[in-house]
Amino acid sequence: MNKEAFLSELRKKLSGLPQEDIEERISFYSEMIDDRMEDGIPEEEAVAGIGSVDAVRDQIMADIPLAKLVKEKVRPKRSLKAWEIVLLVLGSPLWIPLLIAAVAVIFSLFIVLWAVVISIFAVDFSLAAAALACFACIFVYLYAGNPAGAVFSAGAGIVCAGLAILFFFVCAWIAKGAVKLTGRMLLGIKSSFVGKEE
Amino acid sequence: MDIQLKRGLLDACVLAAIKDEDSYGYQIIKDMKPYLELSESTLYTILKRLETAGMLTVKSVEHEGRLRKYYHITRQGLGRIEEFKEDWKEIESIYRFITREDARNE
Repeated sequence: MNKEAFLSELRKKLSGLPQEDIEERISFYSEMIDDRMEDGIPEEEAVAGIGSVDAVRDQIMADIPLAKLVKEKVRPKRSLKAWEIVLLVLGSPLWIPLLIAAVAVIFSLFIVLWAVVISIFAVDFSLAAAALACFACIFVYLYAGNPAGAVFSAGAGIVCAGLAILFFFVCAWIAKGAVKLTGRMLLGIKSSFVGKEE
Repeated sequence: MDIQLKRGLLDACVLAAIKDEDSYGYQIIKDMKPYLELSESTLYTILKRLETAGMLTVKSVEHEGRLRKYYHITRQGLGRIEEFKEDWKEIESIYRFITREDARNE
């Protein structure tokens, strides 16, 4: 890919971002490619060294706060006509609740994801608590003169403790996955604001 | 590496690269190459952060018929480097604490 193709592809994928941000990034990458070429690196190679358009775009998206993307999206490209403003105001009982609902849906997705994580940790915690309780029961049974009960409690306690320890690794693994997934979801939401319009 | 620690390290590296004379993006990357690989996108983020924080200023200079951005360190930027050196002493003493067992066993 040559420099022109790379930059125009990047510009297309960034459309929807604030115009000044796009220009600044484009001129930065343009300067980088020019400097590489001046250093004796062939054009194709100089462009390839920057990374793929998608990788560059993902990094840029990660840098720009979601609030800025939303603000840019809702800002009208031209001034509104009088009848459009009237419609907007009259329609507000309809579109404001819809907007709130959309935000609520996205927010609840995050809540659901993290509720799963919290609940599996709760399961693990309760297993550990059960193990402790079983060990405590050993002494109660011994005191009551019931050795069979004490042995049973010891066995149950060991099983619970073992499960708790094993399950902890599963929990940690799932929590790590949830952190990654949250990041991906955020990037996905951000992406929905960018690069859709020509 | 811890993300905050890495961020401070990268900021100090970029400031050090423009400390003696103004420099431009590609030159900064080349200067840092023997020590750490820095991608263009990462450098952009760092430069932007430092500019917003007032640690460097940017000016466009014409070069071979095109514009090239030169980065100039401010007094605040120089102060940040000094701060980093102080922070590093602290990190070193923490490092010695962390590895004291190893040193004793040797």
